[in-house]
Amino acid sequence: MPKPFRLALVGTGMVTRSSHLPAALASDKLEVVALVDSVRKRAKELARWYGISPYIVPRVQDVFGDIDGAVIATPNDTHMSVALACLEAGVPTLIEKPLASTYAEGEAIVRAGRQYGAVVAVGYMVRFRENILLLGDLLKDGYFGTIRRFVHQAGTVGGWSSLSSYHLSRKAAGGGVLIVNGTHFLNCMLHFWGYPDDLVLEDDAQGGPEANCIARFRYRTTNAPFEGVVLYSKTTELPKGIVIETDRGIVQLADSDDADSIIFRSHTYPEVKQTVRRSGKAPYPLNMNVFQRQLEDFAGACLEGRRPMIDGDQGLMSLRLHEELYARRKSLRTDWYSDLSANGAS
Amino acid sequence: MKRVAILGASGFVGATLVERLLEQRKAEIVPFIHNSGNAMRLARLGIDLPAVDLLDQKQLDMALRGCTHVVNCALGNAHAATRGLRNLLAASRKNKVQRFIHLSSVLVYGDPPPPDSVHESAQTHPTGTYGRVKLQQDRMVQQACRAGLPSIILCPPNISGPYSAFLIKLVDALRAGAFALVDDGNTPCNLVDVSNLAYAIEIALDTGTADGKRMFITDDEKITWHDVIKSLIPVAECIEPVGVTREELRCLHGTNGKSSFSVMRSLKHVVSREVRAALRKDPFWAKVEEGLSQGVTRLGKVVEERLRLSIAGPTAITKPNGTQPYNMHLTAQQLRGVRHDCDLAKQELGYKPVYTFAASMAAFSAWYRSQHGMDTGDWDLLKLLY
Repeated sequence: MPKPFRLALVGTGMVTRSSHLPAALASDKLEVVALVDSVRKRAKELARWYGISPYIVPRVQDVFGDIDGAVIATPNDTHMSVALACLEAGVPTLIEKPLASTYAEGEAIVRAGRQYGAVVAVGYMVRFRENILLLGDLLKDGYFGTIRRFVHQAGTVGGWSSLSSYHLSRKAAGGGVLIVNGTHFLNCMLHFWGYPDDLVLEDDAQGGPEANCIARFRYRTTNAPFEGVVLYSKTTELPKGIVIETDRGIVQLADSDDADSIIFRSHTYPEVKQTVRRSGKAPYPLNMNVFQRQLEDFAGACLEGRRPMIDGDQGLMSLRLHEELYARRKSLRTDWYSDLSANGAS
Repeated sequence: MKRVAILGASGFVGATLVERLLEQRKAEIVPFIHNSGNAMRLARLGIDLPAVDLLDQKQLDMALRGCTHVVNCALGNAHAATRGLRNLLAASRKNKVQRFIHLSSVLVYGDPPPPDSVHESAQTHPTGTYGRVKLQQDRMVQQACRAGLPSIILCPPNISGPYSAFLIKLVDALRAGAFALVDDGNTPCNLVDVSNLAYAIEIALDTGTADGKRMFITDDEKITWHDVIKSLIPVAECIEPVGVTREELRCLHGTNGKSSFSVMRSLKHVVSREVRAALRKDPFWAKVEEGLSQGVTRLGKVVEERLRLSIAGPTAITKPNGTQPYNMHLTAQQLRGVRHDCDLAKQELGYKPVYTFAASMAAFSAWYRSQHGMDTGDWDLLKLLY
């Protein structure tokens, strides 16, 4: 049996605790040799929680020579400095989404990856879901027909919160709900259809990161132009999912890690729901968690000298999209009583 | 200038209050949050959101330093709510806070409330955990008030307006056909728009005798459940819900009520297949269970069957139409039947609702339609996800 790929997990906050570390421990292809965090106590507690004894160090540089790759799961505005330190030492990096908090920082990471010949992968774990993999293949083949429109939405009241609360700072996160929730689908959108020709964003930010946003996209340069709308909220529960209208019918899929099928309803028989599922061997075992798939893909890319499923260039394209959306942002309505007359009280 | 600490600032009422007070610029606001998960509504304003743990007395004492007024909008489980409030009151007294505003609930009067709870002087008799905790909190505030902390307790019914969880649940129930109107919806529905409540808090910071009195804060209109439902039908995109009589609902509600204590039922639960399956996961209990099963099997098929029947009873088949058709938590609220009066708040605080019921419901509809993308032109696709 080949030696496991030795990982350092940089940042021991929520996503490492709940996703990267358990996924790495579930894999016999990976070994967690170091937990890196400036808050030593947090890293030690995490190691104790999972009953492991990795190196506990404040800087990733302290374990260069003992690791084959690093997973960077620190606040978004710190990705660049950690990634550059790794890449300059030839250490491949899997960087939690988004690649960085600005396009310029992302570009520096991708450039360093090329210069030092080290893999840069980006943690868009949604792309490893079976129904997204299948949808990507089927859309490419035109299985569902010609696309007319698409929608995607995700909304939670509260929910996920980082230990450092970095997501409450626009500077640290690089944005608001668009970055926290929306970027996953937007990355899928870029993968399915490429970069849109037109885009516009409305959000409710008033100096901080937006809590709600609506973005609209238009693809004009294809043979059959189509458009889409995405809605993200951190104040309202919105059922998560994707709906695509084609000339043949409606394609729908739940936005969840365990959904493995796609629902199709033809325009001719809308009352009949067809479940579309892969009949052959799936690219990944269905019982394997998406974070484990992502980590194993990263390790595989490093060992086999191939590109990871989501490389730095794709992460950069997502950053370009975010920045263009924010550059074209308009204000979303927030004063719900504005067109109403008050009773007269001040 | 006042320095107002708002505990539970990221919640529904807290966030509305923070937004309102920031706009007024009459006071310095310190919006405390418990954790960052729910705080994006305020974070979007680019303001500091210090975190504070109500269970940490030292942290609270420090956090309230320099604060002249405290508003408690914090929620939490029974332990956090009472222990946290005790700490908060102690920290307020220690920091010589000039006024303490606490949010109570009409549920301190019970569900359904007594007919004389039109006024605050009615006997409190909470029936559920939430009402009991709220009453306990009221008493703690009143005790602190007697000990020298000027305090006001505001007592809202269901809170409406943008972001209202109560109205969202009603919309969901209407869409799912899980809400019925009792007696044509003619029973009173007590509501307060969240902005009216925030306004009441704002004026309570300065006016009133602050002697620990509990005051109802409502929209001060004679609204019925029919009025509320009629306003929500366009956003729920449904037809008017079915009607039931008070008696029919009471029957349904009774079947949905809490089961009483029963030794036999508990015994049946212990020997149920699910519990035994869970126990079998542990090697020791698996052995015990196996031994007992073998013992029973040795007694013979007839005895085994009799034993099973005597404990579990005959196999029950649930008829498909026997399921509860309505969301009873919402539907049964129509049985409350009392209209709480906010005259005391009007006299004491000079309270006058800022927004009418109609304006409040229009604001909710505008907010709901925007949040759910109902006016994007793609609602026909989005609604497939519901």
